Amino acid sequence: MADTLPLAEAKSLVARARAGDFAALERLYRTYERSVYTLARRLTRSEEDAEDVLQETFLEVCRSLRQWRGEGSLWGWIRTITASKALMRYRREKLREWEPLEDDMARAGEDVPLRMDLEAALERLPERSRAVVWLHDVEGYTHEEIAELMGMTTSFSKSQLARAHGRLRRWLGAGVEG
Amino acid sequence: MSQMRHGTSEELLALRDGEGSAWVREHVTECAVCAAEVERLEQVRSQLRALPSFAPPRDRWPVVEQVARQYRRHRRLSGTVGTLAAAAAVVLGFAVLRHSRSAPEDAAVRQAMAESAAMEQVFRSLQPDQRALTGRTAGVVADLEDRLAQVDAVLNDPTALRAGPQRVAELWKQRAGLLSALVDVHETRATYVGL
Repeated sequence: MADTLPLAEAKSLVARARAGDFAALERLYRTYERSVYTLARRLTRSEEDAEDVLQETFLEVCRSLRQWRGEGSLWGWIRTITASKALMRYRREKLREWEPLEDDMARAGEDVPLRMDLEAALERLPERSRAVVWLHDVEGYTHEEIAELMGMTTSFSKSQLARAHGRLRRWLGAGVEG
Repeated sequence: MSQMRHGTSEELLALRDGEGSAWVREHVTECAVCAAEVERLEQVRSQLRALPSFAPPRDRWPVVEQVARQYRRHRRLSGTVGTLAAAAAVVLGFAVLRHSRSAPEDAAVRQAMAESAAMEQVFRSLQPDQRALTGRTAGVVADLEDRLAQVDAVLNDPTALRAGPQRVAELWKQRAGLLSALVDVHETRATYVGL
């Protein structure tokens, strides 16, 4: 959960930042940097990628401050920018081509029941599956919103979530046979 | 005799998320396996939400601040440039009237203005506000922009014309030169970050 600012304080800081007050801008940065970085870490492959997303996100925030009209949550707005920046990397890097197919993972012996902790299992998921799980289960995005962010269909988001949970179940060693 | 089927992962996840079909809602009331799976999915979600957050390994604020300051400067510059161009055109009009006998000098002013405008177009096409600079390069850019602002301030001052069209032409040439230097820096030492 992100550190959040009361709406009145968020509006005041944004107004000051728009007017060129860099102390206000830094306060916004310090409030959200950890949340932005954590989300970026969950949606990207490495610390370095996440750091880049953190930087790109706040540069976008600086540039687009006028677009936040104070009607919704400031964190919600920043979070969407973060997700967009992180997911844009998939498109740039054509990650889709690298993602192993379910059958390939099974052949490689990666489909056997394990006893990982959740952190390790999450890390082991293919990047896009992990992104869907995180955006849906943790950040609360709907499948429609995820589909729009990823430039895919709602069905894709739903099937990715189901497949990811299937893998997590096996890897966490808490399988429910059905 | 047909066997009862279990809910698929998608169906059970939808149920967990409060969107399950009538069939799956009914099914889990009768199927302990699927009911346990929904409970497990709920637990996994809770555990995911409880995972610790990460602290950035390095402080990126200095870079963000630096680029944000450049962006503001560019915006001010872009706004000022338009105003100055208009003001300078008016000023030039007076100058031409007042120095109607010095046609070659007026032509020199027009030529210098055209060079400045052309270079400014190149500069803007590089989208300088969408480029990240290292600290050292940012210092060079800041210096060039400050000098450009000084030249613009002189050009925007009508009293500067008392020095005559030759001086005005020099200022416009100086302006074109500074813009050219900015273009060089952005082309060779800035990274496009797509702000």
